[in-house]
Amino acid sequence: MKKFDYFQPETLKDAYSLIEKSNGSYIYIAGGTDLIANIKNRLIQPDALISLRRIKEISGITQNKDLTLGSMTLLRDIEKDSHIGQNYPALAQAVKILATPQIRNVATIGGNLCNSAPSADCAPPLLVLEASVTLEGPGGQRSIAIEDFFMGPGQTCMNMSEILTRIRITPPGENTGMAFLKVGRVSTDIAIVNAAACLTMEKNVCRKCRLSVGAVAPVPLRLRSVEKMIEGQEISPELLNRAGKMVEEEVKPITDVRSTSGYRRIMSGVLIKRAIEEAIRRMEQNK
Amino acid sequence: MTEYSYIGTEAPRPDAPDKAAGKALYIHDLVRPGMLYGKIKFSEYAHARIKHIDTSKAEKLPGVHAVITGYNTPEIRIGFIRDNFALKKDKVRQFRDEVAAVAAIDPDIAEEAVDLIKVEYEELPSVFTPEDALKEGASLVHEVDTRGRPKSDNVVPVPWKFVAGDVQKAKQEAAFIAEDHFQTPLIQQSCLGTAGSIAEFDLNNNLLIHAKTQIPFLAQNDFNRALAAMGLKGKNTRVIVPAIGGSFGTGLDTHSYEYISILLAYKTGRPVKIVFNREEEFTALSPRQPPKSHIIQGCDKDGKLTFREIRMILDNGAYTSWGATTPSVMMLPISSLYRVPNVFYETKIVYTNNTYCQAMRGYGNPQGTWPIESNMDQLAEAAGIDPYEFRMINSNIPNETSPMGLKISTCGLKECLKTVAEKLDWEEKHGKGRSKARGVGMASLLHVGGGARVYRSDGTGIIMKLDDFGNVSVITGGVEMGQGFDASLTLASAEALGVTPDKINIISGDTATCPWDVGTHASRGAFTACNAAIMAADKAREKIFHLASEHFMRRVQSKLKKQKKKDPDFEIPDLDYERMFDPSEFDMKENYIFLKGEPDNPLLRVTLEEILRAAHYKEQGTMIATEAFYDPPNENIDPRTSRGNISATYSFGTQGAEVEVDLETGKVKVLQFVAAHDVGKVINKQTIMGQIYGGVVMGIGYALSEEYKTEKGKNLNPNFLDYKILSAPDVDFPIHAECIETNDEKGPFGAKGVGEPGLVPTAPAIANAVYDAIGIRIRDLPITPEKVLAALKEKKD
Amino acid sequence: MKKIIDFTLNGREVSAEVESHKMLLQVLRDTFQLTGTKDGCGQGECGACTVLVDGISINSCLYPAFEVDGKSVTTIEGLVGEGNKLHPIQEAFVENGGIQCGFCTPGMIMSAKALLDENPDPTDEELKKGISGNLCRCTGYVQIVDSIRKAAKSLK
Repeated sequence: MKKFDYFQPETLKDAYSLIEKSNGSYIYIAGGTDLIANIKNRLIQPDALISLRRIKEISGITQNKDLTLGSMTLLRDIEKDSHIGQNYPALAQAVKILATPQIRNVATIGGNLCNSAPSADCAPPLLVLEASVTLEGPGGQRSIAIEDFFMGPGQTCMNMSEILTRIRITPPGENTGMAFLKVGRVSTDIAIVNAAACLTMEKNVCRKCRLSVGAVAPVPLRLRSVEKMIEGQEISPELLNRAGKMVEEEVKPITDVRSTSGYRRIMSGVLIKRAIEEAIRRMEQNK
Repeated sequence: MTEYSYIGTEAPRPDAPDKAAGKALYIHDLVRPGMLYGKIKFSEYAHARIKHIDTSKAEKLPGVHAVITGYNTPEIRIGFIRDNFALKKDKVRQFRDEVAAVAAIDPDIAEEAVDLIKVEYEELPSVFTPEDALKEGASLVHEVDTRGRPKSDNVVPVPWKFVAGDVQKAKQEAAFIAEDHFQTPLIQQSCLGTAGSIAEFDLNNNLLIHAKTQIPFLAQNDFNRALAAMGLKGKNTRVIVPAIGGSFGTGLDTHSYEYISILLAYKTGRPVKIVFNREEEFTALSPRQPPKSHIIQGCDKDGKLTFREIRMILDNGAYTSWGATTPSVMMLPISSLYRVPNVFYETKIVYTNNTYCQAMRGYGNPQGTWPIESNMDQLAEAAGIDPYEFRMINSNIPNETSPMGLKISTCGLKECLKTVAEKLDWEEKHGKGRSKARGVGMASLLHVGGGARVYRSDGTGIIMKLDDFGNVSVITGGVEMGQGFDASLTLASAEALGVTPDKINIISGDTATCPWDVGTHASRGAFTACNAAIMAADKAREKIFHLASEHFMRRVQSKLKKQKKKDPDFEIPDLDYERMFDPSEFDMKENYIFLKGEPDNPLLRVTLEEILRAAHYKEQGTMIATEAFYDPPNENIDPRTSRGNISATYSFGTQGAEVEVDLETGKVKVLQFVAAHDVGKVINKQTIMGQIYGGVVMGIGYALSEEYKTEKGKNLNPNFLDYKILSAPDVDFPIHAECIETNDEKGPFGAKGVGEPGLVPTAPAIANAVYDAIGIRIRDLPITPEKVLAALKEKKD
Repeated sequence: MKKIIDFTLNGREVSAEVESHKMLLQVLRDTFQLTGTKDGCGQGECGACTVLVDGISINSCLYPAFEVDGKSVTTIEGLVGEGNKLHPIQEAFVENGGIQCGFCTPGMIMSAKALLDENPDPTDEELKKGISGNLCRCTGYVQIVDSIRKAAKSLK
């Protein structure tokens, strides 16, 4: 492992000034559970890490009209938040089965997103909730849709000096149900495939449908054509099967040490079907 | 039934409190004065000629004390047939080959120095499957054999063959036949504590090495041979074994890293520690062998097995470890699991440029039992007989010699089968094609349970040393590596001697002070050491009772006088003086010596320590230490005939699973698991259950999730992120473990070895349950959802 | 880069000069010679290095040492009371066969402690999830789960 310096600024401004003088050899670190492992495995060799842990303004959960999550909010705190559990069960479920307690006690939601792993468990729920993220840097701040955030494995739309500071979610309306599902090789695993669904129903007819699937393309996917096909329809086994088939065609999975592209393709269809069913079941339970 | 004070109880392990407090010292925790840190430079190719090694930059790095290669150190040959070298010269044959090593003042510098070593290679054509390696004109992994004679093929010169009866004839006469091909993957032992050693020399050039090994005495032998190769002939090695963080067979061979730490220590004159990180543990230690088996079995019209034929091809990897002898253990179930008169078994072990393999828990038995027990279900189906019934028809029975010459004394297999059938509700559940894709399956095992004579001696020594306070040091050559050796030996020693377990102190893991032992392997630790302890205890008791005959009466008299003083009404009873002078009249239990039949009178018993002190502190006094060497009544397998009673007794068991298969995802979920094992006799209930539960869960990993993946000889998943052993939430089903006691007369208190059996039949039990659930036969482990789904699709098409 | 960090270690105020690239695990094992915390994988996958930081379980192999400045760290050694009195969770592991090779044990016990501190009466599922970050190769978890269940009872 290459040695690195370690800075712990207490404000965003101090963080920016550190990164600006580094010529690209410094990087930000959130919980570090992936980053430190990557450094140990020599996948990256930064000269210094700039820890965001002490910047209080970008941590914490607030619920006004919208739900706002500071990027440095621990997965642990999201998991234990009863409001999120009640109103955003897809996100709560994703966090609950992400890695291990020790990791969730340190890892942050911002870190999970900024790693931009195609399998990031927080991504599908945020995609179906149409969350937006705030990116701040020395040059100012901007807000973008989560869908535009991921650019490829390990790549986001942020530049080196920007920090993801906040994630904002507008509460879905009445008669909405959502779910998150994942398949791994064993109970604690990186997703082979993960998926989320969020459906707003009017009796049996789906008024709004948001679907997402992860680990089956370079970035976590929103499944717009499948959503469109479902909206305005009654949810039936035939419709779900058709949706599953469409999903299989839309994904572009790879074969790696964890799974095969063929299996991932089939699973993405199965998970979407099951996520839709689960979302509707939850909505009905909440009535 | 004999009444025991401690045998069969749930006494906690003596090593547990220190481990619970984080006080047990593993190789990782040891620091020697002046110690340096060693690090190895591994090959970057599967097969290549070494053209040049440039160590100049590494040597100049401040903090580096030594940089060694095969070119500046003596050649040390290692391995079962000495086809491996501590450091490689001329060429590398696998990715993990050791080409250089450094010793530095801290691990960071050692790592940096290794990076600075530049090796120039010329890549050679490689072979990555045994089939390719056997092709005409295949690239040779070894151009010459260990005696320097040219080799013409990649076959490892360790052939195993067993023939009994006439399989060809039996084939023609069989009423039903089932034939298939099966295979298992490379499996990594996944010890939580990685491998490591610390080597150092004294000024006489004798070696002291702290090593994570299961074979301290064979290792001593190996290291002494290395010293001779280093020009230190006649010098001795002292091996000390620290606490072991799991071993599971990894400690059955000596390894290159150990020799490298020795070479570095000699070169630097300082202690040198090499400890693997997790990635090195995966890539540079040897996994379990992956055989491919072709099996044919047949039975008559009544379902009696008439023949079994297995041809096996094994990927040896680039070098040969003791793992190449695992077919000798596979031969046991192949020749003798269930009664089968005609057997043909043949193996071919082949060099490839893959990582070389070694033994792992079960020593080949899981790989052998996988095809047998999968195919037993296939044959039962062909014969139209329920698989449980089919196994009962063919079950081994007590007091029978198998075609291989295994003298099966006690055998609880039928009871194991019955237990599993009952617990699984077999009659209700099997073959019912239930709507939820649920099924049940079972599989059995036969394993050595009374030592295993794979070496010239299968012996183990025990010294019992008693002190003035009645404490007993039980000094053993065996090794505690987590399995509960110390716990069993404590109870057995206490029981045999007649003292309380808290008086027993197990001393082990030091070749200089402990008596010889061949190694803690083959489920033999408790069996052999407890037998030796009984022998040593008998000798000690004889001495104790002899001393009692000198000192008992006086102690009793003084006790009675004291009592009289305290209580004037007390009447001193008439004493049987004659008995008190006769050593054969004494007995001892719970640290008290008393006349036989009178254990409970507090005035007529004397503590062991009183007698020991009385005998010690007098003119021409004496103290007690006894020793015993137990070598089980078993035989080496005759290499010509492949026959021999390799073990003094045999362990049996049956495991059963109920599973549910998700037809959309292909995922196999275990609903319940039953493990019934013929253990002879339970010595320590808590540790034996731990061995069974631990074996079962390891076996379920083998069945469902574990696979050491390689591509062109390179390991793709050298970490727990992608090598999936089970975690607690995966074990979300009940495991019913049952110990069947058959009280074997060769066993200590009737016990048989049980360290390995827990994982032997697990995978076929699950595979048979999957077949019962969905009619899909998975032939290559692990049973992944991908394979199940693909098979379901194929079945539908 | 070096820095002096001050923190509470097993109830005592301590301070140490550490290098910026060191993880808490190395500081505990090398600087403070508390070798009860084990290095099993170095990647946050096995949990052998689990310690509590401000009462919460973390993998010390991935936790930059600088981050404990001002915090409170509890290791397995910190659970042992005066006169070598084992903590009830340690006691339960000893009594119920929760320990074999012992290498995963310190981390496992620290995870159990974190779990029971937050949830004194866990369901079986919660209990197993609570130790899902701690791999054990010896026990098959059965007696570990049993040990924690019994510890929960005795802590009540």
